[in-house]
Amino acid sequence: MFPLRRILTLLAACLLGASLQAADAPTITVRKSDALNIAFTGIGGSEGALASKVVQNDLTLAGWFALVQSGMASFTVSGTFAGGVLQGKVVKGSEIVLSKNYTGSPRMASHQFVDDIVQTLTGHKGIATSTIAFVGNRSGRKEIYLADYDGSNGRQLTHDNGLSVSPALSPNGHRLAYTGYQAGYADIYLIDLATGARLRLVKFPGTNSGARFSPDGNLLACSVSKDGNPELYLVSLSGGARRLTHTRGAESSPAWSPNAAELIYSCDETGAPQLYKISSTGGSGRLVPTGFGYCTEPSWSPDGQRLAFNVRSGGGFSVAVMDLNGGGARIVAQGENPVWGADSRHVVYSTGSTISLLDVPTGKSIPVISGLGKVTEPTWTR
Amino acid sequence: MRFQTFALLSIAALLALSGCSNKKNKQYAGVDGDYVSGTPLGERTEGANFMGTNVQRGQYASVQFGYDSSSVAPDQESKVAAVADALKGSGKTVIVAGFTDERGTQEYNRSLGEKRALAVREALIAKGMKANNVQTVSFGSEMPVDPASNDAAWAKNRRAEFGIVK
Repeated sequence: MFPLRRILTLLAACLLGASLQAADAPTITVRKSDALNIAFTGIGGSEGALASKVVQNDLTLAGWFALVQSGMASFTVSGTFAGGVLQGKVVKGSEIVLSKNYTGSPRMASHQFVDDIVQTLTGHKGIATSTIAFVGNRSGRKEIYLADYDGSNGRQLTHDNGLSVSPALSPNGHRLAYTGYQAGYADIYLIDLATGARLRLVKFPGTNSGARFSPDGNLLACSVSKDGNPELYLVSLSGGARRLTHTRGAESSPAWSPNAAELIYSCDETGAPQLYKISSTGGSGRLVPTGFGYCTEPSWSPDGQRLAFNVRSGGGFSVAVMDLNGGGARIVAQGENPVWGADSRHVVYSTGSTISLLDVPTGKSIPVISGLGKVTEPTWTR
Repeated sequence: MRFQTFALLSIAALLALSGCSNKKNKQYAGVDGDYVSGTPLGERTEGANFMGTNVQRGQYASVQFGYDSSSVAPDQESKVAAVADALKGSGKTVIVAGFTDERGTQEYNRSLGEKRALAVREALIAKGMKANNVQTVSFGSEMPVDPASNDAAWAKNRRAEFGIVK
């Protein structure tokens, strides 16, 4: 199916190229899964150089677009950056599709412009303004780091000098929860990223770990072992905790559905870990069949359609993606801990030495973080 | 949208209820009061750090585990008995720390390590230790005994260590 579509697209591109001198170019219906041909003519103005680079990179990474010469493009992206203002513009022939001013650093203004382009032309939320967090051990200890989705603005967030792991960014990026051992046990800490204020939120006896924010950011789902076995709990940021699972297995790594009604998590009750689905109001978990013998650390796409998770294959780990409406799971990359971005199109995952950005429909993967030692457990704002 | 609101309200209501039951029960039983899966943990000894100077490590042999297993094998029982015999009646607190080999994903390893620590805790309780005197912590695949990537190293790293709170 897919190669056929590829061939048709290529054929269409040839036809379009051949008919450029004709008065009326043939109309090509652009399907959702096909790349839109756009031309980027650069960002002018006194401070346009950096903005140009950022916009070009964001448009390339977005996945929705094929950057082509002006003559072949359906849309043309341009702009000027001067006096701290980016004036961004997208035109289709003589029609203005998007015209907007952005203030802030050249980098952030450019990211905002591209997210608006993605939203306007595809109807999808973009990833250009998003932030990722991950664990790095460059300092000799595992600490939490933050970076823009493209790897720029990398910075070390924790300086616990102990063991700081399993970060989770709140969907809006205002908070970060992580598992820290500085009090001697595994506890879940909450950091307000604007103020830097830190709260030791979940500190029950035993091990508390693997926090994941609910879509509205007000609850954490996590593993808590105080009852004598690792179970999933929902913990309110304002206090109060409720047990969700009741099994003899070890539950871990819950992933929220986008409407907060359900969670998919990993449990080893029957041997090797498998994925299960449970209502966020309680009940019992039901197996989510994947066809793989070892499945952990799921991530639910924001559009609710797909699940990404770890599978063990051979000696290493692979990233698998499964359509939740039916259809099997397929391996899309070698690595672990995939997390969906806001566009439900990309995942970031760890290869060990890098955090990489994978465009799932095309299979293209590029490293965005490297040089921070072993980098693991990415999390991504939505 | 309406369903989402309903779901969140339900969660909020349940959280409010569970807040009350937690206050009543210092033993942190499940909210339903069921002890289906293990003996609830007692209050922590705050300040005791398994990796710190106020916990004596290495005095007792580690309990080793099979691949992906969290049961205490018969040939490991004597190690548990040695700790229980020495500490029961002493009033001392032991922290059992669970570890895994590197062949698992990070968060799953933490839950597996905790399950190993809890299995050893149940064995200590069965051999006479008071439940409130046995705490647990999981380090997952961190701090391997042997950093090599082979069967012998992995077998050494799948373990539960004992730390006695001084």
